[in-house]
Amino acid sequence: MSGPFDFYAKRPHDHGHEHDHDDHKPESEAEGPPSEFEILSRAMQELLEAKGVVTADQIRRRIELFEEDFPYRGGRVVARAWTDPAFKRRLLEDGRSACAEAGIELEAERLIAVENTPDVHNLIVCTLCSCYPRALLGMPPTWYKSRNYRSRVVFEPRAVLREFGTLLPDHVTVRVHDSNADMRYVVVPMRPKGTENWSEERLAGILTRDTLVGVTVPQVPGKE
Amino acid sequence: MSDMPVNKGPHDIGGESAGPIDTTDHGMKFWEKQANALRSVLSRAGVVKVDELRRAAEGLEQYGKLAYFEVTTSALRVLLLEKGLITEAELKAKMAEVRGRFSVPDEMESPIKKKDKR
Amino acid sequence: MSPDTAAIRSSYAPAPGHRYAVGDRVRIKGVFPPGHRRTPWYIRGKRGVIERICGAFPNPEELAYGFDGEPAKVLYRVRFAQKHVWPGYRGPDHDVIEMEIFEHWLEPDEGEAP
Repeated sequence: MSGPFDFYAKRPHDHGHEHDHDDHKPESEAEGPPSEFEILSRAMQELLEAKGVVTADQIRRRIELFEEDFPYRGGRVVARAWTDPAFKRRLLEDGRSACAEAGIELEAERLIAVENTPDVHNLIVCTLCSCYPRALLGMPPTWYKSRNYRSRVVFEPRAVLREFGTLLPDHVTVRVHDSNADMRYVVVPMRPKGTENWSEERLAGILTRDTLVGVTVPQVPGKE
Repeated sequence: MSDMPVNKGPHDIGGESAGPIDTTDHGMKFWEKQANALRSVLSRAGVVKVDELRRAAEGLEQYGKLAYFEVTTSALRVLLLEKGLITEAELKAKMAEVRGRFSVPDEMESPIKKKDKR
Repeated sequence: MSPDTAAIRSSYAPAPGHRYAVGDRVRIKGVFPPGHRRTPWYIRGKRGVIERICGAFPNPEELAYGFDGEPAKVLYRVRFAQKHVWPGYRGPDHDVIEMEIFEHWLEPDEGEAP
C-alpha cells in the first residue's frame, strides 16, 4: 500500500492554469514513471475541469470520502447489528433503510445484507465487472476485481475460500451471490465467541472488508 | 467438446478456469484514486451512466490485457469522445502536455529515442 | 416519515404487474444476443427459483446505449443449485448461487423439478 502523501503538494512548473491540480505528487514519481493510462486519465480530468464539467474540488472531495469515510461504515453497521437484534432484523429486511436509520446515507446502493449462520456461509462477487457497495465499504480490494476471483468463485467457491484460509465443513451451505444488476451486497458474519461485552467500536475493528465480502470470518485477536 | 461461445463478451468470465488468486490487497496508486473519483463525479452528475461505462469497457479490444483502472480509463475515453465532450485533437494535445510535465531525465535513453515516443 | 421518503430509503422498488412470485420455478432464456447484457453467460438456460422480487428498474441493456431504459423491467433474485449450473460441481448438493435476473430473461419452468 502506498505511503502517506500530501494532497496539496504541487510540483513547480509553468502551465498557466488558474486552478490547481492535485496531481503533481511526489508519490507519482516514487511509483515510477506514469503509464499512458495515468497520462490519459489526467488529461481527461484536466480537459473536463477546463470545460467546467467537473471541478478539482469535487474530485478532491470524492477522494477524501473514499479514503476517510466509506471504508469505515460497513464495520459500524454490522457491529450494530451484532449488538442490537432488532436492528439486525431490519438490516436483513431492507439494507438501505436500516443504514439510513443508522445515519449512513448510502448513495446509489440498494443494499442487501445476507447473514451467515451455522448452516449457511455467504460469499459475494461481481463476475461481470466489480460491482461492490462502495459507499458502505469503500473501494474493493484488488483480488475482488481480479480475473481469477471473478471467474472461479462462482464454480469453485470452496477452493477459493481455502485460498483465503477459510475452511468450511460440507454440512455448511455455501451461498454465492453474483452482484450482477442493481443490488449490492454485504455479509453479516457470525459473531465470534469471546466478544461478549465488547463495545461496538471494538467489534467493528474485527469486521474487516474481507469478512464483509465473505472470504474470511472475523477473528478474535489472540485466539485461533 | 463444447461449442464456441456465442456472443460472450470478454468481461463475461464467470465459470472460466483461472489460476490462483493473489489474496493480498495491493491498494490503489494515487492516479487510480483520482481516476476513480473522476468516474464517480461524472456518474453522479449524470454525465456518463454506469451502464455506458460498462458497455464501453466490454467493447475494448484490449480488455483481457488491461488492468482494472486501465480498463475504466479507456472506457471513459471512449464515452467522452462518443458524447462529444472532448475531441481526439484536444485529448492528444493535452496528453502531450501532461506527458511533458512528467518527463524525468533518463540517462539510459538517448534524446533521439525520447523524441520518437511523442 | 412520508411514504415517499420511505420509498427512497428502501433497497427495493415497487414492481407493479410482476409476472413471477417468490418460490416460482423459472428458467433463464437460453439466448445469446450480442450487446450489453447483465445476465451472465454461464446462467443462460439454467433452471432456478425466484428468491426475491427487487422491484422495477430501468433496463440496463438500454441505459448502456444512452437511452432512458424505460419502461422499467422487474428485477428478481433467482436461486440456483450449483449442481444444476456446473456439470461436475465439486461441492455438496446443497450449495447454491444467486443473482439478479430481469423479467424478460425469464420463462416459467413447468417441467419436473430439476
